[in-house]
Amino acid sequence: MIVGKQKPLPEIREMIADYGNILILGCGTCATVCFAGGEREVDILASSLGIAAKLEGKERVTTKHTVKRQCEWEFLDEIEEKVKQADAVLSLGCGVGVQAIAERFPEIPVLPGLDTLFMGMPVEEGVWVERCVGCGNCILNQTGGICPIARCPKGLINGPCGGYRDGKCEVDPTRDCAWVLIYERLKKMGRLDMLHTSQPLKDYSKMGHPRSITR
Amino acid sequence: MMPSVSTMQGEAQPPCQVTCPIHQDVRGYIVAVARGEFSEASKLIMETNPLPSVCGMICAHPCETKCRRGQVDEPLSIMALKRFVVEHADHGSPKLQGESEQGQKVAIIGSGPSGLTAAHDLAKMGHKVTVFEHENAPGGALRSGIPKYRLPREVLQRDLEAIIALGVEIKTNTELGKDLTIGGLKNQGYRAILISTGLPLSRGLRVPGIELDGVLLALPFLREVNLDRQKIQVGKRVIVIGGGNVAIDVARSALRLGAGRVHMVCLEAREEMPSFPWEIEAALEEGVQIYCSKGPKSILGKDGQVTGLECMRCTAVFDAEGRFNPSFDKGEVSVIDGDMVIIAIGQASDLSFLKDSAIKLNEGGQLLLDADTLATSEEGIFASGEVATGPGSAVEAMANGRKAALSIARYLTGRPLAVAPPAEIELGELSPQIIDKIKRLPKQQMPALAVPERVQNFVQVELGYDRASAVREARRCLSCGLGTEYIEEECSTCLTCVRICPYGVPIITASGSVDIRVDQCQACGICVNECPAKAVILKQYQDEEVIERITTAIANASRSGVRPLTVVFWCSFSAYATGDFAEFVRTKCPSNIGILTIPCVTKIGIIHLLKAFELGADKVFVVGCPEEYCPYKESTSWARRKVDRAKKILDDVGLGAERLEMFNLPNVDIEQEEVLFKITQPAKQTQPDPLNG
Repeated sequence: MIVGKQKPLPEIREMIADYGNILILGCGTCATVCFAGGEREVDILASSLGIAAKLEGKERVTTKHTVKRQCEWEFLDEIEEKVKQADAVLSLGCGVGVQAIAERFPEIPVLPGLDTLFMGMPVEEGVWVERCVGCGNCILNQTGGICPIARCPKGLINGPCGGYRDGKCEVDPTRDCAWVLIYERLKKMGRLDMLHTSQPLKDYSKMGHPRSITR
Repeated sequence: MMPSVSTMQGEAQPPCQVTCPIHQDVRGYIVAVARGEFSEASKLIMETNPLPSVCGMICAHPCETKCRRGQVDEPLSIMALKRFVVEHADHGSPKLQGESEQGQKVAIIGSGPSGLTAAHDLAKMGHKVTVFEHENAPGGALRSGIPKYRLPREVLQRDLEAIIALGVEIKTNTELGKDLTIGGLKNQGYRAILISTGLPLSRGLRVPGIELDGVLLALPFLREVNLDRQKIQVGKRVIVIGGGNVAIDVARSALRLGAGRVHMVCLEAREEMPSFPWEIEAALEEGVQIYCSKGPKSILGKDGQVTGLECMRCTAVFDAEGRFNPSFDKGEVSVIDGDMVIIAIGQASDLSFLKDSAIKLNEGGQLLLDADTLATSEEGIFASGEVATGPGSAVEAMANGRKAALSIARYLTGRPLAVAPPAEIELGELSPQIIDKIKRLPKQQMPALAVPERVQNFVQVELGYDRASAVREARRCLSCGLGTEYIEEECSTCLTCVRICPYGVPIITASGSVDIRVDQCQACGICVNECPAKAVILKQYQDEEVIERITTAIANASRSGVRPLTVVFWCSFSAYATGDFAEFVRTKCPSNIGILTIPCVTKIGIIHLLKAFELGADKVFVVGCPEEYCPYKESTSWARRKVDRAKKILDDVGLGAERLEMFNLPNVDIEQEEVLFKITQPAKQTQPDPLNG
């Protein structure tokens, strides 16, 4: 899933400063799951901005809505009337969602309420970690199911580097070295032999933007 | 769309309610007691119970046997809580019923629990009911059979007065077959007649010595004792034959009348005895000696006076087909010395009043009845209670009386008598994994008179809960089935509920969706305010209601014009309920403080806290219970998380985090003034909310 984080409230307040009528739009999929922009967060943000506006002595109308997924135009049809009434849409979806709204409703400003961060997963309640960078050329079959591109700050495909200490990364000593994890996993699998072969140079052209696929 | 499993289960009723013969909303009134809302509890009890005071004292309480708290530690003391409510709540005046347009004259013969329930129900429907009682005071077996140490007469009187206030007329000293006849009642214009005459006759024994002086039957004995007809002289060593509840009543009464020793002899082994276990325990405590697995062979005597009972060993009470057919080892004989024998081995109906009537009897000589409608063979005549069903508990007789009242009402309005009872689904048992995780809470002990004080007189043995014990006991209720409602179409399957529930209630189904098992939910509410998709709601505490209450609290507090305008979210359990803070709030709390009670701080959402400020609060407090008294797990830490996030937002918007505070009361016995101090002192330093200028 895509993981994002709500922008700090002062930044959001600055972003909406010029608009009197805001549609706060939640996303019912990834942004809900990572607690950044589901229906509950829409409520809390609307209330917070309401208090802020009153304190600033501003007249501001906020309308709330949450769609199933902001990144599908068909799901955006239901907000057409609300968009027409608003001066701006404050999206609590990921960057894809913000752009989908902008494309579906070209005449209205769409403001990102989230910073979209990564593709990842929760490892405990309330903690999400990055697991994939979408390199377009997956080698997880050769690295024990642990991605060195996403999990090694240097993205080494033939690791580890010389900087790891006691199994920890030199860039962030609180984090496990991805290549030590790969070694341990291959050892458990009885496939340390896979480390005898060097990975060929990675074709990073497959990460070139923008990418698309056709079914 | 198909309803989710949870929604379907949501229709299920808690076992206490399903098991109760009159289907009392037990869960509803217990939860109300836990919140200190005693009048509400009383209202719920009286809705379905015409004899609440009586049931608070002597109900067989099958609800407690089925209480799911019993799977965790010990079942709730439901009967004792009912008694507490009856004794402490403001019940309001009973509503007088006028005769409805369709009101008809109904005669009820017998004023026991069944007849009184039918009278109550029919009167509430607008019928004109007259109850005929052959004794000089109403109550039937409740008055003549149950000793005063279990059911003080003023308690019975309280219920009788409420029934009379509905317009029911009770005519005492009027015996069917002697003072009135069924034909005569019809001639007097009674459109329907209910026979609820109970089982007034004691069964005797055919053993040598039965004719001796000092041999008595149980019911006449109890009647003499309970109706204060005369001071009964009991022997020094009384032998009671029988192992049922009546035998226990006889034994304990004999002790109180001055019998030095009381021996009970019964056919059954201890665990087979038909008496309620708690009655047996009480008798043993008081010194009654129980001889089990013994049958009477003969009553021994000298000079025409009882001297003892010769017994033989009972080897089995029931035969291979399960019928009552005791077998004895006649070679194993023992003698119990005594100067009085009271026989309490069963009761029978007295249908002598039917001798000139056309009402048919069945092969067993009992009333021939339609089991579904309780109609006799003669039109317009019905029967209910023990005369119809055989021996049973008072609450079963009440349920049967209610069933008869419904049939009679249908008869009187020309509708078909038989109606299918509504199908009931009972909540299933708690799963062992959930039981392991539920906090153990000790049962509140019922204070009782010490044994030496008890056996001197007929004063009530159990003293009843005080306010604090009642609230604590009620707080043990698991609110079965009253927790969350899961809205599957709103769910984003984020699995937050699965991860955070302290009890492991939500599960992932085979189809990959989530099921918050309503029959296992503990109603703590943690998942409700954490669910990012708002797919979980509490059945009893929803956002709209809370926001409405915040609005009202602020509006009320604003009227004073005094600042700081303070809103307090206060857990309605523990200290609030035990300390009578409701009364304090109503009468003494400064008018600028608006108090909202909530069933545990876990149920507060960030949006509720922000809403209070949006609506103009200068200062907001969240007041929780002492953690050890909270029946839920992790309640303080989850509430604290919400408060911390709301404080951050208050800072971010420029209002200031210091306007919001949370604290837990140090103990449940905290003084009201102390709490007030904790609220008013910090509030004094708060600047007025600029939103409320």
